[in-house]
Amino acid sequence: MHKIAEVEIQHDIMVANKKIAQRNQRMLDKAGVFTVDVLGAIGSGKTSLIEILIQKMNHKIGVIAGDVISKFDAGRFQKYDIPVIGLNTGKECHLDAHLVEHAFQDLPLKEIDLLFVENVGNLICPVDFDLGSHMRMVVVSVTEGDDTVEKHPLIFKDADLVVINKIDIAEAVGADEEKMANDAKMLNPDVEVIKSSLKTGEGVKEIIKAIEDFMK
Amino acid sequence: MHELSMADAIVKTVLDAAEKNQAEEILEVTIEIGKLTMLNPEQLRFLLEVLTEDTLLEGADIIIEEIPVKIKCNNCDYTGSTNLDDSDHYLMIVKCPECDERNLEVITGQECNVKNIRIEKPE
Ligand SMILES: Nc1nc2c(ncn2[C@@H]2O[C@H](COP(=O)(O)OP(=O)(O)OP(=O)(O)O)[C@@H](O)[C@H]2O)c(=O)[nH]1
Ligand SMILES: [Mg+2]
Ligand SMILES: [Zn+2]
Repeated sequence: MHKIAEVEIQHDIMVANKKIAQRNQRMLDKAGVFTVDVLGAIGSGKTSLIEILIQKMNHKIGVIAGDVISKFDAGRFQKYDIPVIGLNTGKECHLDAHLVEHAFQDLPLKEIDLLFVENVGNLICPVDFDLGSHMRMVVVSVTEGDDTVEKHPLIFKDADLVVINKIDIAEAVGADEEKMANDAKMLNPDVEVIKSSLKTGEGVKEIIKAIEDFMK
Repeated sequence: MHELSMADAIVKTVLDAAEKNQAEEILEVTIEIGKLTMLNPEQLRFLLEVLTEDTLLEGADIIIEEIPVKIKCNNCDYTGSTNLDDSDHYLMIVKCPECDERNLEVITGQECNVKNIRIEKPE
C-alpha cells in the first residue's frame, strides 16, 4: 500500500548562498584579506580599473577574475606577477558564493592583503548573490547611457562605492555624468560616488582613498 | 537571467528530500519566489519542466507562490508593503511610503525557497 505524505523542506537557495558567503567572509577575515567585489556593466572599465589599482596601490593584491570565458581578463592581470585566479562562468550571468569559495581556497591568502573579485559584466544578476566580500564597488560608464543608474536601482542600493567611469568621452556620447552621480546618491544617500576617467587618470586617487578608508 | 542555475538547485533540493523520505513519486512541489529576485516565474517553471524529465519529479505539479515585497523603514519604523504598482516594483525599495526616507530594509521579497513537496511513499 501507498500513502501520500506532505514533506516540509523550507530550503531557501538564496539563504544557502548567504550562508556560504558568511563562511567565506570568516575565512577571509582570519587570513586578513580585505576583499572588494567589483561589479558593473559589460565593458564599463572593471578590468582596467583593477589593473591601475594593482600598479598604484601599496598593497599585496590578488585578483579573482570571473568572466564568461575567464582566460581574457585573467590574462590581463597575470602580467603583473600577482596571484590571479580566473573563474569560467560559462553560461552563468553571475558569480556565486560557492564558486568563489573554491577560488578563495586556491589562492595563497597569506601573500595577499587586498583581493579584488571582478564579477561578470552585468548590473542585474550579481545583486542576489553575496560572495562574502567586505566592500562592493560598482563601476558604470557614461557609454551605457546616463539612465543606467536609475534603471538598475538594486545594485546601487547595496553598493559601498560607485564609480562613474569614462567621463573623458561623456560629451561625445551625450551623457550627463552629473545625473548619474545624483541618481546613485538618490538611491543610496550614504554611498561615495566618484567620477573617473581611466584614460586621463582623473578620479583614480579618490578611488584609492575610498578603498583605503574602507579597509581601516 | 539565472533561472537555469536556480532551477538546477531547486531540482537537486527536491530530489534529495524525496530520496530521504523514500518517495516513490512526487506529486507536487511548492516553491516561493520573492518579487525582488531577478527570477521570472514562468521561465523558471519552463526550465523546471525540462530539467525534471526522466526524474522522480517528472510530471509533478509545480506550484510557484510569489512573495510580495515588504520593507521596514529605519526612520519611522513603517513596516509593510508599498503602494507602487507592479511595473515599478523595484522602486518600492527606494522610498518609504510614509516618510520618504530612503534608508530601508527589505524584509521579504528576496526568497527562492523550496517550501514543501507532496509525495507518495510505501505505507
Ligand atoms: N575612453 C575611455 N575608455 C575606457 C576607460 N576605461 C576603460 N576604457 C576602455 O573600455 C574598454 C573596456 O574596458 P574593460 O576594462 O575591459 O572593461 P570591463 O568592465 O572589464 O569589461 P568586461 O569584463 O568585458 O565586462 C577598454 O577598451 C578600455 O580601454 C575610460 O575611462 N575612458
Ligand atoms: Mg573585465
Ligand atoms: Zn518611513
